[in-house]
Parts: sequence; structure tokens; C-alpha cells
Amino acid sequence: MTSRRRLLALALAALSLGAVSCGRSDPAGGGARTIRLSTTTSARDTGLLEVLLLEFEKDTGIEVLAVSVGTGEALKHGERGDADVVLVHARKAEDAFMTAGHGVERRDAWWNRFVIVGPANEAVEKRYRETLAAGGSAAPSASAYLRAVRDAGAMFVSRGDDSGTHKRELDLWTAGGAKFERWVGYRSTGQGMGPTLTIADEEDAYTLVDEGTWLKMRKRLRLGVRSTGDPGLENPYGIILPRADGPTGPRSAAARKLVEWVTGPRGRDVVRSFTVDGERPFFLPGETPPPGP
Amino acid sequence: MDIFADGAREAWALLTRGDAVTWHAIWLSLWTSVLSVMLAAPFAVPLGAWIGLSKPRSQYTWVFLFRLGVGVPTVALGLFLYGLFSRRGPFGDLGFLFTPQAIVIGEVLLAFPILASLSHAAAANLDPRVLETVRTHGGGRLLAVRLMVSETRAALVAAFLLAFGRCLTELGVAIIVGGGYELRTRTLPAQVSLEISKGEFGKAAAACLVLVVLAFGAVIVAWFLGQERKR
Repeated sequence: MTSRRRLLALALAALSLGAVSCGRSDPAGGGARTIRLSTTTSARDTGLLEVLLLEFEKDTGIEVLAVSVGTGEALKHGERGDADVVLVHARKAEDAFMTAGHGVERRDAWWNRFVIVGPANEAVEKRYRETLAAGGSAAPSASAYLRAVRDAGAMFVSRGDDSGTHKRELDLWTAGGAKFERWVGYRSTGQGMGPTLTIADEEDAYTLVDEGTWLKMRKRLRLGVRSTGDPGLENPYGIILPRADGPTGPRSAAARKLVEWVTGPRGRDVVRSFTVDGERPFFLPGETPPPGP
Repeated sequence: MDIFADGAREAWALLTRGDAVTWHAIWLSLWTSVLSVMLAAPFAVPLGAWIGLSKPRSQYTWVFLFRLGVGVPTVALGLFLYGLFSRRGPFGDLGFLFTPQAIVIGEVLLAFPILASLSHAAAANLDPRVLETVRTHGGGRLLAVRLMVSETRAALVAAFLLAFGRCLTELGVAIIVGGGYELRTRTLPAQVSLEISKGEFGKAAAACLVLVVLAFGAVIVAWFLGQERKR
């Protein structure tokens, strides 16, 4: 019995030693080897984040642990110091964050677009054309298209989860001071983009979706792009260096490296060459993209 | 730890404020579970009871099938029904997907084996003289079942409450074929799951609290009724 207990103690000691030595140690020159990034779901779901962080680690040896939460939550992480870098797409919230003094620096990372997808519904198209004609402008209007969906009594499936996409949907509904009113065809799933898109496809309904997720899923879906091109559908991403760790903390130096890399030539190269189903969902600040998918 | 304090506070606020989403989830969970048990019972109880009373050669095949039904993962059932009711599926045109009716269909299938196997157990343990009495009086299956039901009432009520609990707390069917539509098909378990993925732990804990109270309540009532039988 004693020899068995000794063997067990030895095994336990070996295991604990192994566990302890698995952690990365800070090199003598300062700067952490692992930093935390809080971001939202769309960059991650399309696969862009994975590629970016992989290339970043190859270039700098710094591992980035990314967690996807809602925009509000990601910014809170930055404020509390639970994240070393924050990457979101909510300009108003980002500006408020910086104004409140929580961030050291904010940079434009990239931008993408939303599109409205749905079934072929002539009643909706007709109403939309009439609205445009009445307004005297031929420029695509996502807000007018959503209103056409509602007025024609068609079905619309919303994220309903306070996400960036959901907030944009509400912005479109309330554009020009209009009030947001649900109608009998309005559904709120409370789920992520993937499930929401699948549900909309099942129900032959309209929904607002970011181009990246759309490109990834469109092969399996019956829906088609119905409204695109409105500048109101543009969605800029900002990358923020929060102040919480202090400007000279060890993690801050590595975090700054990430911010500089993403907005530098290497990061921009990755974004520029990233495609889903043959098309680019993400664009660099100042780029003029091709017409919608 | 503050998740629980926040949750309790949020629960109180949501309930007293009459929050539509929370109250709808409570109402939906309750009526679908009750209806599902009520729909399954007239078929499951007589079936289980008769098998337990008459003890045919196929008795243990039946018991085995009932037990398989009790053990089915709710997500497997949800996925199966999704395949049936999806647009591409054989019953897609019936328009059941993402409706409360689909949730009820799934929950009936969950309740049935529970009611059948517990009815069987109650009947099988019944004094054989009961069946003999029925036979000597020229009574048929129906009378035997009715007599069995009155003799084992407490055990059957407990079975009903357990089936109710299974329907109330399941997530797989509700989310997969229900779709989790706010104010339409979002049951309490679905509400918990969705609020957590939104990072709203307070709201999730609130829905969870109500769910636990209802679920434990059913267990407690079933327990006391069971004690009554032992007397």
C-alpha cells in the first residue's frame, strides 16, 4: 500500500510540475507573450480574426486570446482591464469610450457592409420602387426597403440580441425620426447571425446580415440579396487600446504591437486578401468597394 | 457570486414590472407542458396500465421501448422533428416549424413514454385480485384500466407531475423546432440559454429562478402525493 501511495504522490508531483511549466514566461526585455482581445462575433464568424491573429503570432510570437461578446460587453472589458485590446463596430459607443477617458488610442481597423436578404417578393419590390420614386432619388435606401417589407406585410427576422447588427437594424428603422413599430410579420430570435439567417431562410423571410456571414452561408440558402449599396449599411470597425493596464504596463506594450500590426501594412494585406466564397467582405479605410454581392 | 444576487433582484423587478417577455415565457412553458401531458395521457396511461395488468408475453419488450423513450435526448428529438417539419422535410408544408404547436408535438413525445412506463409499473404492482375481480364480473379492458387508475391514483398523479417536469425543463425541442421567437415560442429554458449567450446574466438568472421554482414545485407536490400512497 505504501509503495502505491508513493507512486501516486510522484505522479501528482510530476503532473503539477508539468502544469506549471506550461505557462508562458515573460522574456527579460518586458512585453507579455499572451494578450486578451475582446471583440464581437462577426469578425470571428467569418474567419478573418483567426487568420489575422495567426499571422500576428507568426510575426511577433505574441499569442492573442480572443473572446467574442456583445459590443457593450467588449467595451466594458476594456474599461475594467479584462481585455488588453478591444475590437468592435459601434462608432458612437467607441467615441463615448474614448471621451470618457477609458482608452489610450482608437484606430480605424476595417469596414464591412450589411445587406438585406430575403425571398423574391414582388409586392415588396413594388412598394420600394414607389417610395423611391416619391422621394425623387434613385439612390438605394435600406430604410425605405425595410419599410416596404413592413408595409407589404412580409416577414422579417431580427437578431433581437442587442448586437451591433441588431443596433444597426434599429437605426435603419428609426432613420429620419421614424418610430419603430412591430407588425405581425416581425420576429425576434435573440440568437446569433448564423441561426437567425437559417431561421429566416426557413421562413422565407427578410433579415439584415453582414456580408461576411452571408457569403459564408449563401450557398445553402434560398434567400437572395434584396437591398445593398446604401451608405447607411456601411459598418466600420475600430480597434482600441484601453488605458486600464497603464501606458507602460507589460501587456500594454504587446497590445500596442497588435494595434499597430493590424492597422499596418501586414494587417492590411491580410484584410485585403481575405475572401469568403470568392468575394471580399472586408475593406480598408478609404477603399471603394465593388458593388454588392 | 454576484450573479445570483443580481439574478434575484432582476427576477423580482421583471415579475413585478410585468415584463412581457418573461411573463410570456412563463405562460408558454406552463401551457405547452400541461397540454402535452394532457394529450399524451389518454393514450399512454391505458396502454401502460393494460400491459401491466394483463402481463402479455411482449410485456418486457414494451417496457424496454418505454424506457428508450424516457431516455431520448431532447436535442435528438428536436433535430428529428426539425427534419420532419423543415421546408425541405416531408411535413414542411404543414407550417409547424417555429410554432408553439411544434413544441407541443415534441413534448407529447417526451411525456408519452414517462406516463406509459410509470402506469405500467403501477399496474404491474397491483394486487392480481383486482384483475380477477374485473374478469369474474365480466368486465373488459376498459373497466380494468379504470379500476387500476382509481387504485393507483397517487402514483399516477406523481407520473403526471414527472412528465410535466420533463416537458417544462427541456430545451432541445423548444429551441430547435420552436425557434426561440421572443413573445411567441420562447420558453423559460430557451430564455435562460439565450440571455446567457447575450451576456445578460441577471436576466438569465431571473428566468432560471422562475423555472427552478416551478420545476421543484412539481417534484415537491409529487413527493407528498407519493407519501400519501405509502400510508
